[in-house]
Amino acid sequence: MLPDVLDPAPSPPDAVRPRAGRSARPGEVLRQSLRLQRRSLLAWCAGLAAMVVLYGSLWPSIRDEPSITDVMDQLPEVLRSLLATADMSTPVGYVQAELMGLTGPLLVILFAVLAGAAGIAGEEDRRSIDLLLANPVSRTRVVVERTAATVVATAVVVTALGVALAAGGVLFGLDLPLAHVLAAMLHLWLLGAVFGALAAAVGAATGSVALARAVPAATAVLAYLVNGLAPLVGWLEPVRDLSPFAQYQGHVPLASGVSWPAVAVSAGTVLVLGVVAVSTFRRRDLRG
Amino acid sequence: MTGGAAEVAVATTGLTKRFGRTTALQDVDLAVRRGEVLGYLGPNGAGKTTTLRLLMGFLRPTSGSARVLGLDAWRDAARVHADVGYVGGEPALHDRLTGREHVRATARLRGGDGPGRAPELAGRLDLDLDRPARELSKGNRQKLALVLAMMSDPPLLVLDEPTSGFDPLAQQEFQALLRAHTATGGAALLSSHVLGEVQRSADRIGVLRAGRLVAVEAMEDLPARSLHRVRARFEDEVPAGDFAGLPGLRDVVVSGTALSCSAPASALDALCRRMATHRLADLECTEADLEETFLAYYGTERAGAA
Repeated sequence: MLPDVLDPAPSPPDAVRPRAGRSARPGEVLRQSLRLQRRSLLAWCAGLAAMVVLYGSLWPSIRDEPSITDVMDQLPEVLRSLLATADMSTPVGYVQAELMGLTGPLLVILFAVLAGAAGIAGEEDRRSIDLLLANPVSRTRVVVERTAATVVATAVVVTALGVALAAGGVLFGLDLPLAHVLAAMLHLWLLGAVFGALAAAVGAATGSVALARAVPAATAVLAYLVNGLAPLVGWLEPVRDLSPFAQYQGHVPLASGVSWPAVAVSAGTVLVLGVVAVSTFRRRDLRG
Repeated sequence: MTGGAAEVAVATTGLTKRFGRTTALQDVDLAVRRGEVLGYLGPNGAGKTTTLRLLMGFLRPTSGSARVLGLDAWRDAARVHADVGYVGGEPALHDRLTGREHVRATARLRGGDGPGRAPELAGRLDLDLDRPARELSKGNRQKLALVLAMMSDPPLLVLDEPTSGFDPLAQQEFQALLRAHTATGGAALLSSHVLGEVQRSADRIGVLRAGRLVAVEAMEDLPARSLHRVRARFEDEVPAGDFAGLPGLRDVVVSGTALSCSAPASALDALCRRMATHRLADLECTEADLEETFLAYYGTERAGAA
């Protein structure tokens, strides 16, 4: 039996309802994405701020206990290099060692990767991305604005951390030059943005949440090791600058301020990852 | 192509989709005209959802093409969606958001002309828009998805088993909504794995088996084709050859003095005349329902692609 597509049709009423050209306002997808993450974003901000304030509250006792620096000095060089330890008796050294060296970037990257992976691959996994894509919103816009949402959310989290750090300065005498705190936050944000964008790109290319989390996580560990071990392992030195961690604190922003070349490299990396995300997502089937 | 964008809401030509080595859909030529509801039937896994997702541009055709309201479903997906309302197989919602928040978000994504028909639709379907999606039953989730699909009054509805969780009252209301939709020139493609679900709303029915469109029938032609189960017992043995070759007769079994077969209404006259040439001891004739009719016509076809 053949499909009779050419049968005479029951004469259709001519009331057609055209509305071509309608679409969402620019930034609408971004706005809605941030709204959907509102709760987790607030929780992250509160958690990070509390942690920073806790570190700050410990500062007076650390400052008055110089032997801690001696202990750190006795650590093997590999460990010191990896942990990015510094002179714990100064505010910059303390914050660098306790917060900006490992804990801060680790948590910010964790947040950015989770957010980046959830934005596209995660929604696709739960099929809720249909709620976006069934509307007159192009895939390009979904990827661009969802990736941007990750970058913006990371900025919010980093801002909370920066504000807490400044508050710690006032409360516990942890005196840091404000310009340098801002510089450090800018670089921390870009570090998170790079891995968040990587998560978004892997998610956009594959639709797999697992990959969108695992690839950036593994890349981050590798990049961290390359940056930390390069001073000790000669052959790593040439590739060190490729590590986002080198861009992040090769110049110790807390001590020396913003490095614009590093900002440019990081921002460029985010853009390139965004382009990859768009071009792969436009081409493939949605899962489900 | 005949018709063109003006009369045809959906037109696929040779639409084929393969996932790796699996052929999900093979050479499907399907048309949905403006002003009609096409019921898209087939067992689970036959390719219904694949077809609908191709029409939405969520999947890219392996070959062939799908045009929706005159535009290419894959390349112009975003533009097409301005005029299409879609309900997916298991509608995904944002658990924390209420119905009203879903409506607001959808309205903004559709160019921000307010909630449109959403409050009216929710009222007719008896859906509470103030409850978060995670508290909704399956039926109510489907109602919300339907409200989101229909709120901007789009000319084409693409609905993947939209009413499988509906109670009878909501089913009726849904059918009334569909009738109003088609009365003003709207078109709908409505998939289901049971005929009963689309029987009352569809103007035509397309039947999909193992990725192939095996039939498209006007709903009004189906009763004429509905099969009658005939069982007869005769006083004497009857030769099997007596009932072979009667046009339209199916599943003829003759053993000794008994005959059983299925016959469309058009074959009943000839069958009775032939039976009358023997001495009849008993006769039973029952009409099969549409579901059985369908299974009889299409259920036994060989599965798999060529």
